[in-house]
Formats: sequence, C-alpha cells, structure tokens
Amino acid sequence: MAKKRKEEVIDTDLNLTPAMNLILILIPLLLAAMETMKLGVINVATPQIGPSSEVTPPDQAPDEKPLKLTIALTDRGLHLYARDQVIENKDDPLGPTIPKKDGEEVVDGKPVPGKVYDNEKLSQMLSDIKDENPTEENIIISAESHIKYRYIIQIMDASRETKVGDKKKSLFPNVVLSAGVA
Amino acid sequence: MAEEKNQTFEILPENYEQDVLAKKKAGKKGDRDVEPAKLTMNSLMDILTILLVFLLKNYSTDAVSVTPSSDLDLPKGMTALTPEQTVAITVSKSAILVDNIMVLTVKDGKVDAAQKRGGDDGYFIIPLNKALADAVEKQRRIAAVNPSAGKSLGIATVIMDGDTPFRLLTEVMYSAGQAEFSKFKFLVISNIEAGA
Repeated sequence: MAKKRKEEVIDTDLNLTPAMNLILILIPLLLAAMETMKLGVINVATPQIGPSSEVTPPDQAPDEKPLKLTIALTDRGLHLYARDQVIENKDDPLGPTIPKKDGEEVVDGKPVPGKVYDNEKLSQMLSDIKDENPTEENIIISAESHIKYRYIIQIMDASRETKVGDKKKSLFPNVVLSAGVA
Repeated sequence: MAEEKNQTFEILPENYEQDVLAKKKAGKKGDRDVEPAKLTMNSLMDILTILLVFLLKNYSTDAVSVTPSSDLDLPKGMTALTPEQTVAITVSKSAILVDNIMVLTVKDGKVDAAQKRGGDDGYFIIPLNKALADAVEKQRRIAAVNPSAGKSLGIATVIMDGDTPFRLLTEVMYSAGQAEFSKFKFLVISNIEAGA
C-alpha cells in the first residue's frame, strides 16, 4: 500500500524539460534583442540653400518685421540674430553674441579640456526672447561648414525647451536648418 | 535438499546465475531504500519565468534599430519623440546608406567631388539623390495599395555620426530635398531622463 502511494506521487510530477528547453532558448534570444539604448528623433524642416537674408522672405505686415530668430554656430561661439539685426554682446561688441566657455570637448570619443558652446546662457537668452515674443515658434539654425553635427544637436536641444524652476518651458520647437554661413 | 539444489543447478545453470544476480541487485536497492536523485526545478523555473516576462516586456519594437559602433557614433539629445517607419538615410564616418543599402563612400567627412553636381562646391550628391528617388518611388507603389503607408511619404530619418561636418549634413538634406523629402527626423540617443 505504501509503495503504491509513493508511485502515485512520482507520477504527478510535471516533466519540465521541454519548458526549460524553450525558456533557455528564449532568454538568450530576447537578451540579444533587448534595446540597450533608447532612441529618439528631432523633427527638422528642409534647409533652404541661399544667403541667410533670403531664408524666410518677410511675409508679415511691413511695420512689424518678422522675428526670424537665427543662431549661427562658429568657431568662436554663437551668433544670434533677430529681425535681421545682430544681438550684440555687451562685453564684446565685435565678438559672438555668446562666446564659447571653458569645458570638456569630446575628441575621438574622449573628453579633453577645451572650449564649448554655452548652452545655459543660450537657453537663458532665448527664454527672454520668448517672453517678448510668446507666439513665435520658429528658429533658424546655421553653422560654419566644418561645425560638427553633435554641436548642432546640442544647440537644437538648448533652443527647444528650458527649465524654469521645476517647470519645463517650451522655447522655439520648430527648427529650420539653413546653410547660410559659408 | 542438497540433491534438489544440485539438480536445479544442473538443469538451469545459466538462468540460475542470472536470477541470483538480479536478486542481489534488487536486494541492494530495497535494503538501502534509495530513490533516484532528483533536482528541484521549481525555484529555477520561477526565476526563468520572471526573467522571460521581463525580457518580453523590454523587447525592442522600435521602427529603427542602430548598432552602435565607432563608425556611427550617434549624438545624445533630449527628445521625447520616438522613431517612425520612414526612409532611413545613414551617414557614418565612412559611407552613406539609404535603407541600409550602401550608396557611396565618405572620406574625412566629405563626399568625392566627382559624385556631386557642380564639383567640390556642389550640394547635389548624385548617387544619393538617385537612391532616394528610387526609395520614394517604392514608397509610392506601396502607398497605392496600402494607404496607411502613405503618411510617411516625404519624411526621412537621418541617422548621422556625431562628427559629421555641417556641410555634409546640408548636402545630404539638399539631395534629399531634391528627391521630394521635406521633413527630416534626426535620430539621437535619447537621454531625456538624464537631462531632466
């Protein structure tokens, strides 16, 4: 009697081998397919080739010039233009609006000390411009021909939104690229 | 008794030996009452099942997948927008690809002047424009049968190495613009959590 009961217990054991086989194959497969980095996209409009003054023809009333906010990236820093006028740097009227600051530059994947664009100051200035022109959404970004793509992305990030306290503030989300600076 | 045993031995000598051996074996097992060794799989199964569910949840269903390499070092950006299924223009340090098919080579962030209309100063990259025009034509044919595929017409995802000079970016966008692309999505590694 005791023997019979023992046999019954053994019979109810599930044979887990096929399930284990399946799981052990699925786990490496899914591990390999797992995304290790999260990808995102930035929407950009078509650039219009030509001198910067022809990038967006004025289509508003003549008494009110369009804002036509433009950021130009050069080796020395960021030049800002609004209503076809240079936004001057009070400390250095001939230099860029926002000069580069000391920081770490990435060369061949390694950070080295160098000059970087002052994104915080840019966000601050754009935030002030946005307060004066709350309906404006567009920004034109241009650069010298050898400026690296990663810096353009950085400037796009800085000009899209900023943080005021704990709140996010939208600045100029519609980016137009221009090949204006030779 | 002894005679009987002898007789049996004489009649079935081989069977007898086997019987004795079998009895010995059975007796050994029975005596010690040892069952075959068994692993307890339950806890292992628990772990694996949880892991399986976790991995299935993380399974990448992105429209665009990029294998990171030194040749294609995507810049980091803060964006909440996710990639969509569109024509992909990949610009690495060594080549330009359209939908993962190589179109032409890139050297030191420049395209060979012979590949451009207007030579070194030109913006129009002839092979890239042709490949993109073919891609648009293919999309049109698909959209004619499946209208939902038509909404990505005229949109291109630009997957570009971070060290690409601005000049090449404008050349690529100009060539794409001439192939009826008007909207671009720049692919970046999203670090919105780190930046927030």
